[in-house]
Amino acid sequence: MFFKKKYVVILGLGSTIAIAGAALPSANNEYKNLKVLPENISSKDLSKIMIDDFEDGLGVSCAFCHSLGKDSLRLDYASDAKPEKQIARRMMTMTLGINRKYFKFKHPMIGDSTLVINCITCHNGQPRLGDVEEK
Amino acid sequence: MKNDNFIGLDENDDGIDRAGFLKCMAWAGTGLFCIMSGGVLKSYGMSQLIDKATGRIKKGIEISKGDFSFAQISDSHIGFNKPANPDVVGTLQAAISKMNAMPSSPSFILHTGDLSHLAQADEFDTLDQALKSAKTGKIFYVPGEHDVLNDNGKQYLQRYGKDTKGNGWYSFDFNGVHFIGLVNVVDTAEGGLGVLGNEQLQWLENDLKGLSSSTPIVVFAHIPLWAVYPQWGWGTRDSEQALTYLRRFGSVSVLNGHIHQTLQKVEGNITFHTATSTAFPQPQPGMAPSAGPMKVPAEQLRNLLGLTSVNYVEHDHTLAVTDLPLSSAKTDQPEHQ
Repeated sequence: MFFKKKYVVILGLGSTIAIAGAALPSANNEYKNLKVLPENISSKDLSKIMIDDFEDGLGVSCAFCHSLGKDSLRLDYASDAKPEKQIARRMMTMTLGINRKYFKFKHPMIGDSTLVINCITCHNGQPRLGDVEEK
Repeated sequence: MKNDNFIGLDENDDGIDRAGFLKCMAWAGTGLFCIMSGGVLKSYGMSQLIDKATGRIKKGIEISKGDFSFAQISDSHIGFNKPANPDVVGTLQAAISKMNAMPSSPSFILHTGDLSHLAQADEFDTLDQALKSAKTGKIFYVPGEHDVLNDNGKQYLQRYGKDTKGNGWYSFDFNGVHFIGLVNVVDTAEGGLGVLGNEQLQWLENDLKGLSSSTPIVVFAHIPLWAVYPQWGWGTRDSEQALTYLRRFGSVSVLNGHIHQTLQKVEGNITFHTATSTAFPQPQPGMAPSAGPMKVPAEQLRNLLGLTSVNYVEHDHTLAVTDLPLSSAKTDQPEHQ
């Protein structure tokens, strides 16, 4: 029972998982407000994380985490207005920690395909883990 | 899983209710070949046209001579390399080869977006290189959301958007048919729905103003302009406004990509048609936890990308969708009517 409660807490955290911790790729790839992902990440690596890890892993689109700009229909990638984005940062930190602590990765990086644990490990295409039925 | 937002009404008495819609849903070719005849658009899945053994048109298939023909390619996702298809360049080239094997070259190609997977320069370069082998007069593009990832579409516009308006929308005329390329991926709405935006809608209204209602119209954009499955973002939030401007025309065909599978819907004089990807399949609406690349056994991939042809025929002063095996004569075509 204890295990199940603990599991639910972890799932709850994941339940609001979000896309980025990220940043707007500007024209010269100077990203603003990156806090978990490295500031010097390449446009390709950042896009790959957003698409392959978050979009496909959680089955969401950019607007799940990123808010629209003021009076705009365009996403303000640097904004922290949506709580999902903050949770995404915590989820990334958690994921890196699990890989570091339990799977002995010295310098785990989000987007590294060799990581043992990544977003899709738990999310399996669902944004909220409460939506994933236990088998 | 409940699919409450599927089409549930048969308002036009055309058999395209929820059940009919699902019956019409099918995987189609790695490319689409369209013939415009008398203002009526007929489209054929590539894999049903071409004999795999010979690379030529299958025996017994007769393609009526239309006024002109064009092809649609969509969702090439150059740069994608996950298990759903580690060789997206190869499958794009296969689609081009099939087009090149047609008895007459298409006048032009419409690429309905997601040219690239991550909007990287090398991915666009690879696409351009592959399309150089296509035997056609010209290629027209609209962007997919993957093409505008890094810079809100600046690079896309520099490469493919010369002489376009706004984020890349435009129109052109060909043999009396008015073609309109719309962009619904730069702005966004909650849930990933496409957005056309007021500026583009205003432009569309003005673009159509001078046209006679008898002018055949072909609209192409990346995200479907009808609510295929809004839960997955498979629709465009303000498409209804665009359709309002189009409803006075006698023949309107709307071609989209994005969902990597062929679906059709007829609504009055407007026929909607989504195309398959040249890269990888996606699940049918609601049949998976979410949209995304769907891995199938390697030996089945190209088959899944090429099973069904689609045909549009005139019917009771409207367009009706018909499932048309290309090998059959006109008399034994199973119709969804």
